[in-house]
Amino acid sequence: MPFDHEAVVGFAKSFGLFYLLGLSAICLAWTYWPSNKKGFDEAAKMPVLEEEDRPWR
Amino acid sequence: MLADFTRGERTGALVILGTMVVLGLAMAIAGRHDLLGIHGWIVFGISLALTFGAIRQLDLPEPSPERLSEYYDAPTRTGLILTLIWGVVGMGAGFWVAALLAWPEMTFDVSWLSWGRLRPIHTSGVIFGFGGNALIATSLHVLQRTTRARLPDALSPWFVLIGYNLFCIIAASGYLMGLTQSKEYAEPEWYADIWLVVVWVVYFFIYMRTLARRKEPHIYVANWYYMAFILVVAILHIVNNLAVPVSFGSAKSYSLFAGVQDAMTQWWYGHNAVAFFLTAGFLGMMYYYLPKRAGRPIFSYRMSIISFWGITFMYMWAGSHHLHYTALPHWVQTLGMAFSVVLLVPSWASAGNALLTLNGAWHKVRDDAVLRFMALAAIFYGITTFEGSFMAIRAVNSLSHYTDWTVGHVHAGALGWVAMITFGSLYSLVPSMFKRERIYSQKLVEVHFWLALSGTVIYVFAMWNSGVIQGLMWRTYDETGTLSYSFIDSLVAMHPYYIARAFGGLLFLLGALTALFNVIMTIRMPAIGMAPEARGDLPAEPVMQAGE
Amino acid sequence: MRVYTPLEVAGRNIYLREGCYACHSQMIRTLRDEVDRYGPYSLAVESSYDHPQLWGSKRTGPDLARLGNKYSDAWHVTHMNNPRDVVPESVMPAYRWLLRDQLKTEDLGDHLRAMRAVGVPYTDEQIQFAAQDAYGQANPDSPEASGVAERYGEATNIRTFDGRTGPLTDMDALVAYLQMLGTLTDVAHTSETAEVE
Repeated sequence: MPFDHEAVVGFAKSFGLFYLLGLSAICLAWTYWPSNKKGFDEAAKMPVLEEEDRPWR
Repeated sequence: MLADFTRGERTGALVILGTMVVLGLAMAIAGRHDLLGIHGWIVFGISLALTFGAIRQLDLPEPSPERLSEYYDAPTRTGLILTLIWGVVGMGAGFWVAALLAWPEMTFDVSWLSWGRLRPIHTSGVIFGFGGNALIATSLHVLQRTTRARLPDALSPWFVLIGYNLFCIIAASGYLMGLTQSKEYAEPEWYADIWLVVVWVVYFFIYMRTLARRKEPHIYVANWYYMAFILVVAILHIVNNLAVPVSFGSAKSYSLFAGVQDAMTQWWYGHNAVAFFLTAGFLGMMYYYLPKRAGRPIFSYRMSIISFWGITFMYMWAGSHHLHYTALPHWVQTLGMAFSVVLLVPSWASAGNALLTLNGAWHKVRDDAVLRFMALAAIFYGITTFEGSFMAIRAVNSLSHYTDWTVGHVHAGALGWVAMITFGSLYSLVPSMFKRERIYSQKLVEVHFWLALSGTVIYVFAMWNSGVIQGLMWRTYDETGTLSYSFIDSLVAMHPYYIARAFGGLLFLLGALTALFNVIMTIRMPAIGMAPEARGDLPAEPVMQAGE
Repeated sequence: MRVYTPLEVAGRNIYLREGCYACHSQMIRTLRDEVDRYGPYSLAVESSYDHPQLWGSKRTGPDLARLGNKYSDAWHVTHMNNPRDVVPESVMPAYRWLLRDQLKTEDLGDHLRAMRAVGVPYTDEQIQFAAQDAYGQANPDSPEASGVAERYGEATNIRTFDGRTGPLTDMDALVAYLQMLGTLTDVAHTSETAEVE
């Protein structure tokens, strides 16, 4: 396959689409995976916790 | 500064400074017949002054091991002050160039006072000076608090902060002398660009090394945004600035790209500078300081993740909407338009997430001007991203492009979103960073808020009006099929709006000056823990509440 | 497409130095009113030697893509010296220093060589005679002038751009650049132009 304008356009219009759909699917699955919920809920509290203002090590 | 350094770090600092002295001298000699030489002397002078300062502090006792049980906030403190100083410089230059468009005689026959040389001082001053220092200062704070790890060392954050500000000084002084690559928001010449790459790599490694020491397994989402900012800005900066210098003794270089490829590269850079410098970084700020100030966790953590990946994927493709109807291939324009429209989804997810976090804490927004700054920032972020997606539509762009509407859009984002979230975060950060009980004057924060809001509204409305009028006048035909207005007719119609815009900018500048004064007075207050009698003549506790 | 003469390169660098691109675009879009106002829409080939391009993003002043030879040299000199002498409503700064400042030409060969490194097809001869050609282009009666037409074509503007012979000023270079804009190729005027939206 020659590396010219048409080839790049063809690649962008085909694999580009699948790449984007695939990444979106992975991202959504990871975000809504039930076992991840607990970690996210804890992470969300991170800025508001008034812990001792010191590094742990 | 050097008191915080270990023996090894002090040696490291001297080696770096010594190298910079030599580099500065080499630039000065190689560029003796060129403006590059002046920059060489500037680098030489600053490095030499820092070297002398370092040598004088070399024999200070080593820092106590107890420091490791505290966060390292000294670079953040300096960064916050630099943020405000650059803010005043950049916004001052902005006010001045705005006034020049209404009263052009104020150039006074001085080349470096002319519009074209001052304008990049405004744009770089606010984006890189004000915005960049704010991002470095807050990112180092957020990074340590959310990982519960101290910065890995004391030398590298100072290298980043000082090195970055040296870049800003080289950039700004270069513009005055007429040194520019002419690529908007990437104006500094090749040697400044190389220097920024070095600084930026060290910045990225600070982030990675601190993350590696974290306690929490999960990395808080604010850090994702900050890291996307650092990583993508590095890629954009390197690619868009690829150039061949005329010689090692010349400041001038020629871009590797030409014509349509260069236009695409430049606006890929330009739009992602908006996306990753002015959006991702400041979203990182918002996702930490807004929940913290409101005392409520973010409304939906999952939504913040979705909008993170949405923004990271899609902004990359949106740049070509700056080139509608140009010689850029049509399908590339369409691609940019499509991604720009879809970008509304992750953008509004973030804006909505912020506002829903505040839902239930509106009384705090009413009473606390600091939180109100952040709430308003989220609202302006929502407005600006909607407007941006709208303007990226080809048919809309045919009217808006090349007009003041674009300028109005940018300032709705820059003043309403970037500066407001920065001021909100800064006010909430300053008392704890300087170990003061509170900000010097809550009343002045209130004054600043209303100056900032009214300045932004006046500015944006003036530019919306002038932009739409301009766009319509350029395309109006009379009944004989000829254009109704000459270009100069449209320029004359702009005059009242240019005055209004300068006035709006002046209000915003006065707000920034208020902030600088307030922060300086806060620092001059006695630290927490000092005896009450030592506190001297301080104003009474603020009693005014909004709405009184 | 001919390449820029050394004097035009110097003028283009002054255009960059003064930040002209922040107020003037050099890209006529494929829109009817733009074609009626400024001329045939810009083609990709017309900026293919532009490192970097100067398409611009804002028109505080008008587009300049087809400015070349639209006004006289004297008009440009007066306009640069004080725009309000010829356009009373103008908000452009007065660039009085352009007539005062001597143009630096001795390193123009290095500039051409750097441009060749990024892909502009300059010949060895063009690089070798860069400084001389810059002088010749603005001094039509000098012996240096003939080489300019020889190396860059008969269509090249060879005139006393700032109205004075002898040493070159920044004004010479900038006016030479502006008077060339849109004239490097006539393909936009002759080709079968596609429909305008």
